[in-house]
Parts: sequence; structure tokens; C-alpha cells
Amino acid sequence: MDILASLVNGFAVALTPTNLLYCFLGSLIGTAIGVLPGLGPPATIALLLPVTYGINATSAVILLAGIFYGAMYGGSTTSILLNIPGEAASVVTCLDGYQMARQGRAGAALAISAFGSFIAGTLSIVGLMLLAPPMAAFALKFGAPENFALLVLGLMMAGYLAGASMTKGLMMAVLGLLLGTVGLDPIMGSPRFTFGIFKLSEGFEFVLVAMGLFGIGEVLANVEQSIKAEVFKAKIGGLLPSRQEWREASAPIARGSVLGFLIGVLPGGGAIISSFISYALEKKLSRTPERFGHGAIAGVAGPESANNSAATGSFIPLLTLGIPGNASIAMIFAALLIHGIRPGPLLLTEKPEIFWGLVASMYIGNVMLLVLNLPLIGLWVKLLQVPYPILAPFILVFVIVGAYSVNNSAFDVGTTVVFGLLGYVLRKFGFEPAPLVLAMILGPQLEGSLRRALIFSRGDFTVFVERPISAVLLALAALMLFSPVFRWVLSRKFWEIVGPVPEK
Amino acid sequence: MARRDSLVALVALGFGVAAAHEAGQLPFGGLHNPGPGFFPWLLGVFFSLLSLVLLVQAVLRSPRLAGERGGRVGNVLWLLAALALYVAVLDPVGYPIATFLLVLFMLRVLEPHPWPLALALAVLGAGGSYLVFAVWLSVPLPPGPLGR
Repeated sequence: MDILASLVNGFAVALTPTNLLYCFLGSLIGTAIGVLPGLGPPATIALLLPVTYGINATSAVILLAGIFYGAMYGGSTTSILLNIPGEAASVVTCLDGYQMARQGRAGAALAISAFGSFIAGTLSIVGLMLLAPPMAAFALKFGAPENFALLVLGLMMAGYLAGASMTKGLMMAVLGLLLGTVGLDPIMGSPRFTFGIFKLSEGFEFVLVAMGLFGIGEVLANVEQSIKAEVFKAKIGGLLPSRQEWREASAPIARGSVLGFLIGVLPGGGAIISSFISYALEKKLSRTPERFGHGAIAGVAGPESANNSAATGSFIPLLTLGIPGNASIAMIFAALLIHGIRPGPLLLTEKPEIFWGLVASMYIGNVMLLVLNLPLIGLWVKLLQVPYPILAPFILVFVIVGAYSVNNSAFDVGTTVVFGLLGYVLRKFGFEPAPLVLAMILGPQLEGSLRRALIFSRGDFTVFVERPISAVLLALAALMLFSPVFRWVLSRKFWEIVGPVPEK
Repeated sequence: MARRDSLVALVALGFGVAAAHEAGQLPFGGLHNPGPGFFPWLLGVFFSLLSLVLLVQAVLRSPRLAGERGGRVGNVLWLLAALALYVAVLDPVGYPIATFLLVLFMLRVLEPHPWPLALALAVLGAGGSYLVFAVWLSVPLPPGPLGR
């Protein structure tokens, strides 16, 4: 068995003391920021990017991935106990989780989300392990036209799935592409959009943009909205769900795992959407849909499983096609680029230790997370009592040091603040910054493949539709461009199934 | 909301046109061999088109999608001013003092906390991070007069 042998090698990488430590740190930080409302996984990973300069690529990926999937565990805690989502993928967990807590079943809700997360997380790693190698092998055949078509589709989906308005999502993607063109032209080396400013000739440093948009941008947004957190006072109760609760939760966990994985694999899909769809699906399939919104355990088990398997699934496009599907994954992409590694179909064959080390670390990380989130739940409840205003200056301090350390210059801190302001203003006007960072990181590749394809075809655009793979990908992208209606129907459908949300 | 979106769309349109114009100054090349200006110009055009779509949507559509609720915008502006000042004085004043003042400002002015707590956290935030990052991890943060 080829996969088994590779996995054994992966465990050899992941089980070194250093990597175990990074895996643990990732799980720990991930749970913490998942628990804390107002600090999401992309922001945290952005903050930690400068830290990963100093460690090797495999450890860096293990750490950052741990934060990403760890946050999916932690987010449910806040939703259940506070009725505030700890992070965006746990929004729907509030609906039934908090109701369960009010009925004295907080312990069962927490336990089911932790177990569901663990099962879904582990199953989806198996999926990742089995699906990634053939997909990478397939993608190896891609030439410039296919790559161009794939990138267009990826960006289109990111714009399509992020936020409320597709127009705004696409605008963010194009803005990101434009930001990516600042600096020296990748083929000719001539300066573009530098306006004679020498510092701009190297382009905008991705780390600074990401830390500004997500780190400072989120702090500014939160400083504006005072978050009032009131921890649920009642006892958490027994942590083990009853047999009856297990029976009710097992099918949703299984469905959530599969659904989440499939959605996670789509670029632009990911944890948030999968949790919404899973909730709607469970309500639709339930024999007692009227219990949803009043503490149905299926409404916690399904979405919490789905967001975990989606988080793991979203590593597939990154590691096999070189396409980050969401903002957190884009940051991990950036971390790899910083180490001179370009994620894509070659990663598996050229750097197997990164892929298999990551896969193995995910198995380990999920076990660590189960332990962190069940017996130690009391600790996280304590963390919830730290008010955001006290946390905010510390987040800023971290951003400042990180930004400064990129080039040891105060100018970079200023750049980050400017992007922080941009991130705040964009959010204010309903623009999601996620497609922007995806596009910024993919921009040079997109331009390169477009220009190479045109050179190769001597300026004939039909090259993109004559080759079957690129034709299919572009057709999908076009379909998506002209179908904001589907999306509208989908969100209508969601609220139709879910019905009115009960007041606290 | 509709009016705000149309305003945003107009600003964005201006930006898109400016970007396309700027890119137009760069060598465009031909389709058979696109130059440095080719891709940015396309992007500028796309961005302008999308802005127009947004404008049309904002005018036609009833204000269905509400943005975020307004809040304490004053706080945001104060914090931005503080950060701008921080960047300006970081090199001459040094990281420890500048950071101490920034944290103190956030915990006394933006969100008033009792003096002892604010002072303690400011010392912890500035001193602790300086020790960890500058001393232990040797990030060359500017020490300012304290370090000389």
C-alpha cells in the first residue's frame, strides 16, 4: 500500500518533538481564538505569519493548520454558552446550542459538538488522504490555459460565495488582483503602479496586507461595536450525552461529515457555508422539525461536524491545485510561499514530507483537540470572561510587532495600519475582504498563465475553449457569473426551512 | 442603504477608471504577446464594469441588504489617530514607551478602565512583548531612549 507507507513517513515527521509541539500549539491557539468572539482564524493566522519565518515549512504548516481546524472546535463553545458565535462557522450552532444550554443540557451540546467535530475531522482527513494524490496527478497535466481557467473559476467561486452580494465579492477579487500587480511585472520586470515610490517596486507585502485587513480591520470593527458577553451562568451539567442524544446525533454527524467535506473541497466553499447547509438539511430531514430552534441536538451535531470536515476538505484544492478556497487557507498558502514552496500538484511528489506530515499531524491534532475541548472545557469558559476591550490592545501589539519584524521598519507598520483602515471601511460598506486576499495571492499566477497561454496560441483566445478541461472550467465560471439567482433562491430556501429565529 | 451603495459604486467607478487609465500608460503589447500593461488594464476595465453593475443594482434594488449597524465611529477615528501617531513616533520614542502609551490610551480613553488595571496592563503589554520579541526572539524593535 502506497498510501500506508507514505502515511507512516508522515507520522515520522509529525511525531518529532518539535512538530508535536507546533501541532499542540496550533490546537491550543485555535481553540482559544475559536472561543473568543471577535478574533477569527484568518486574523490569527495572519498575525502568526511573521512568526513562521523562523521555523521550517512543515512545522509552519502544521501550526497554522492546527489553528484553522482548532478554531472550528472552539467556536461552538461560545455559541452554546453565550449565544454569540465564537467564529463565523458556528453561527447556526447558536440557534439550538444556546437553547440546549438554557434547558440545562449545555454539557451534552458541548460534548456532541466536540465528538462530532472529532469524527468529522478524522473522517475528512481520510478523505483528504485518499483524494489528494489522484487529484494532484490529474492537475499535473494542466497547461497554461487550464491553469488560467482554474484560477478564474476559483476566484469566481470565492467572489460568489463570500458575503451577501456577488457583485461586491467580485469587485473585491478584482481589487485584490490589481493590488497584486503593484510592483515589478513578473515577465518583463518593468515597474507598475509604483508612482515613483521606491518602496512599492517590490509590491505590497502580503503579510502586511493580511495583518492590516484582518488583524487591525477586525479590531477597528470591534472597537466600534461593543461586544457584550454574558457567560451562561447555569452549570454546564454532565459532559456525556445520554444514549438517546447519541442516537439523535449520530446520523446528523455522519451527514454533516460528508456534506462538509464536499463543500469544503470547492474553492470559496468552506466551513461557514457548510454549517448553514447542514443545518437546513437536518431540519428538512428531521421527523420533528418543530424542535429546531428549541434545542434540537441534531441542529448542533450536523453543522458542527460539517464545519470541521469542510475545514479539512479545503486543504485539498490548496495542496493539489494550488488554489486557496478561503482566507485562512490563503494565509497558509502565503506561509508556504514565504518558505519558497509553491503549493500545487508538484507538492505531493516534490515535498511529500509536507503533505504527509500535515496529514499525520491532523490525525494527532484532532485527538489533542478532543482532549482540549472536553475535559478542559472549564478553562475555556474562564477565557470567555476576558472582556474584548482588554484583549484588543494585545491583538494590536501583536500586529505591530509582526508588521515591524517583516522588514524591521516603522513604515511597514504604517502600511499595515492603512490596510487596517481599508479593511474597516470595506466591512462597513458590506465588502468581504476574503476574496481580496485570495486574489492578491493568485494574481501573479493568473496573469502569468493568461499571458503564457496567449503567447503560446499567438493571441488566439479560442485556446481557452478548444482544450476540453479549460472549456469545462470556464463554462462553469460563466454559469456562476450569470446565476446570482440560484444563490438568492438558496438563501431564501435556507430561511424558509429554518423559519423565524426565537428570541432569547 | 441604496444611496450609500450608489455612492460607493461611484467612488469605485472612479477608482476603476483611474486604474485602467494608469495601466494604459504602460506598454500594452499585443494579444500575441501581452505586455506589462495588458493585465492591469483588463482589471481596471473589469472593476469599472462591476462598479457600474453595483450602481445599477443600488438604484434598482430596494434596500434589502443592510450593512453593519452604525456604532461608535468616534472610537474608531480616535484609535486610528492614535495608531498614526504611534507609527510616527515609533522610531524616535522607541517601542516600549510608544506601546505603553498606546495600550494606556486604549484602556483609559477608548474603554475607560480603572487606573491601576490600565497601568498594569500597559506595563505588561509593552514590557512583556518587548521582553519576548526584542530580547528573547531578537526582533530589532526600536529601543528608544530607554535602551541607550
